[in-house]
Amino acid sequence: MKPMKNLLKKATFTAIGLTFAASASADINVAYFLEWATPNQIAKVEKTYDEALGEKVNWVNFASGVAMTEAMLSGDIDISFSQGMAPFVNAINANAPLKAVGIAVVYGAGGDCVVSNASGITKDNASELEGQSVAVPLNTMSDFEFRMTMVNLGVDVSKITVVDQEPADAAVSLTDGQVAMACGFGENSLSKMKEVGKPIFTLAEKTAAGIESYDIVSVSEKFAEENPEALKTFMEVTSQANADFAKDQSKISVIASDAGMSVDKTKKQMAGFSFPSAEVQVNEYLSKDGKVATLLPFMGKMFATAAAPAKADYSAVIDASFLGATPAVAATLESLAERVMSLEAKVKTLETK
Amino acid sequence: MLDFLFTYRGPIVGTLFLALIATIVWAVLYGRKLMRTEKSDAVFGNPERALGGWHWVITGVSFILLLWFYFSWDAARAFRPVAANEFCQVDKLSSAGNPIRSVLPLEKSFLKGTSLLVRENRQLSDLADDLERLGFSDTEKAEAKEIVSLMRLAIVGATSPQYLDASTQTRFVDIESRITALTAKLANEGYPGAPTAAQEEAAANIARWGDSGNEIPYAPATPLGYKFAAAAVEMKAISKDFIKIKNTNEHFLGQVDELKSQIAAFDTKAKAATGLDELLVENRADFFKGLTHVLRRVDDGNIFPPDALNGIQTALVALDGEQKSQQGGLKYFGALMMPGGEIRAGSNSCSEQGSGRWLPKPSDTLRTFVRISNPEIGYKGNPLLWYKMKPFGEMVDLVVPDFISSFVPGDFPRHDENGVVTPNLKSKVHDFVTGNFVSFKVPMPAGHVWDSLIRVVAGLFFGILLGVPLGLFMGLSRFSKGFFDPIIELYRPVPPLAWAPLILTIFGIQDDGKIFLLFMVAFAIMVVSARTGATGTNLSKIHAAHSLGASKGQILRKVILPNSLPEILTGIRIAIGVCWGTLVAAEMLAGTTGIGFVENVARKQSDYEIIWTTIIILGLLGLLFDLMMRWVIDKTIPWRGKG
Repeated sequence: MKPMKNLLKKATFTAIGLTFAASASADINVAYFLEWATPNQIAKVEKTYDEALGEKVNWVNFASGVAMTEAMLSGDIDISFSQGMAPFVNAINANAPLKAVGIAVVYGAGGDCVVSNASGITKDNASELEGQSVAVPLNTMSDFEFRMTMVNLGVDVSKITVVDQEPADAAVSLTDGQVAMACGFGENSLSKMKEVGKPIFTLAEKTAAGIESYDIVSVSEKFAEENPEALKTFMEVTSQANADFAKDQSKISVIASDAGMSVDKTKKQMAGFSFPSAEVQVNEYLSKDGKVATLLPFMGKMFATAAAPAKADYSAVIDASFLGATPAVAATLESLAERVMSLEAKVKTLETK
Repeated sequence: MLDFLFTYRGPIVGTLFLALIATIVWAVLYGRKLMRTEKSDAVFGNPERALGGWHWVITGVSFILLLWFYFSWDAARAFRPVAANEFCQVDKLSSAGNPIRSVLPLEKSFLKGTSLLVRENRQLSDLADDLERLGFSDTEKAEAKEIVSLMRLAIVGATSPQYLDASTQTRFVDIESRITALTAKLANEGYPGAPTAAQEEAAANIARWGDSGNEIPYAPATPLGYKFAAAAVEMKAISKDFIKIKNTNEHFLGQVDELKSQIAAFDTKAKAATGLDELLVENRADFFKGLTHVLRRVDDGNIFPPDALNGIQTALVALDGEQKSQQGGLKYFGALMMPGGEIRAGSNSCSEQGSGRWLPKPSDTLRTFVRISNPEIGYKGNPLLWYKMKPFGEMVDLVVPDFISSFVPGDFPRHDENGVVTPNLKSKVHDFVTGNFVSFKVPMPAGHVWDSLIRVVAGLFFGILLGVPLGLFMGLSRFSKGFFDPIIELYRPVPPLAWAPLILTIFGIQDDGKIFLLFMVAFAIMVVSARTGATGTNLSKIHAAHSLGASKGQILRKVILPNSLPEILTGIRIAIGVCWGTLVAAEMLAGTTGIGFVENVARKQSDYEIIWTTIIILGLLGLLFDLMMRWVIDKTIPWRGKG
């Protein structure tokens, strides 16, 4: 028995030692999505982040933004790259100590609502959707896009049977004609949907309707307080990667293989993406009345529940100070004011329904 | 009435908590007394020893409830409702010091400067090693080495106290004295003075702990709270000034400037070199990039002489000590009554972290349950369980197949020039079979719970209906055993979720797909248990029946079926449990209603109260079914285990 006991003891101590070693390492843990092509994946693969930060950067892929929130709250993840606005606003409503520090991707075509050809519905006769089934992954950016689209087209959402489905399942249901329209994201699912249907809005129409989605870079407040330099460097490397990619797209295969897609699909997806520079982010998105500041309260109201009601003020969770760009005098104030007004009008129409 | 309950939730929960403790103590004492007084002839191994013991049921239930009240901090909220608000102010102060604390070896093992120093030196060593492989000429190599050693010197320049700027020194001393002053203020009874009118108004308007979701009132409302909130504001200002302090001694800056120009000069020189291998050029570029990265990080000026921060550290430790003692009873209350987490202050809200967050309080869960049970609120437009007046026609539509109308000769009528549609026989039949006629209305149950119940019951029903005969058949016939065995054994171990995409394509998004998934689960279990029952029949009983002249059918009905009943009923019991377990997966396919749907949607919003409500509903429904089965087992096979 004796040697057995000793062995056990040793094993226990080793295990404890390993745990301590793991918790003592100062690595930076970043959450990201697969099938979501961004230029900083080149920097990720080429270890530019690790070099600039001087520390090991662990990239962990996640299936949903909600899981990213949970991981940030438990302290396993420091930075979430390209978390959707929907899970972020849900987290903020639930009092999670998180912050939006940058814009990862701006996309119009990353998500889409696709109507099947068989249904014969276009944006001109969209009210025919009333009484039919629509597949939507509830409480995601696609949910937001679905509702915004319906409000824009004057369709009564309460008369539509909304089926909660993941994009991959929604694509199957659309193909089989079970649903008249499917909303989703992810290039693989979307291209399957588009084989049997057409997006109800083109990219230009979506922009005109004010349906623009962006994924943000979010961090836990604690990480931002304790490692401001590291966060600044991270944002800097990301901006650099975006700028490099804008000049030279030869490394797209690196992105494709890292995102787990074919080069063609990656190209297609990235055509609908834009990656604003730090200056644009500071001035147009994260400024006091920028796009994020206007969208957050709007979405906050949309996703509010009894347990997590909307906040009166969301400005405290936006922090552009890590981008390293100085806000210029907003030359676009007028257009911003217009945006606010149009969004407010939409909020009102939503409320009256 | 329920609002009344919620208003007085504190005393109610508190009384319940104490009552639960009393119950457990009583049950344990009662059990011990019973053991001493009760005479039992049953030897060890006799199942009779496990009979009775309802007091242990009470203990078990009380224990679970007690754990729930305790770890969800419901008990803490009942006994000290302001605790969360006070802890919120306390954490405001301690998180205000975070920027300073993270630099000092308080929570981490090393001083931040030390870790930075080690890191940069290691990277410099790596770069120096790389140097040999980059095809530099000897003079270039020497030059590069000089740069690396100069960089090391620059770091030393940052760490040696003799170069530390007097102004930086003063700023450190300033920070230190400000923290010390804050500590003194914190110890002062009168600090921060009477709350302002605005503060008092904010305090009067705050909600109670958890009035909406997991909200914790943010504004201070107690004397302790005012004190910590005021201190937090000051501490925040101190931290803000602290992180602005960079090591900017002349000596260090001079070295950095020199380094910058040297690296740049060396870089241009190295770039001018021609006729090099492409890979080598790339590696050289990497080398310079690495050098620049190290230089930029050193240039951040976050490395200070080893003892420069000692004063601040002592001051901060003193502040932490003072704030602990100022908390008084609160810290013991937190340690004792709020286990498994803490209350964290964010930039504009405070939140429970740890078990307080993911384990909603029983009283809140009950409130959520009552709220969504209200048929007018429900969840996502459907009630939990309610009735709906449905026209009789809908039932006709459900029962009578629609294709009957296509057998009626003739065409469907068209509208005429005046826009009038004259119905003919075909359209009348069509109207009837599709339930499109005026009919009386009957109340029908509806809602998430009902929908789930129907799915489970239907899956079970078909599973038993088809599974039991096939199982018996397989136990008795060589052909069917050999023929069906491979199919059933192949699909049985596959998890239901793996079937999901297939079922979605085959059955679509209606109920039949979900029911089929549940049927598959129940069917396999029923086949296996019926087969085991049939093969396990005592051969002598069959021989006896045979010699008494029983026919094949009689043997099956009178001997084999009763003898397999224990296995079949146990199989049903297992199938019920597994079906409820599979329900969430089934309703994930295409959710419109059902408990699994509610859970799937709530999961995406981290709405733990709803999640726990669904868990409890699922658990209770499972328990209800199991109790029913136990009753059935007791009634139909009382002889089990006695033969």
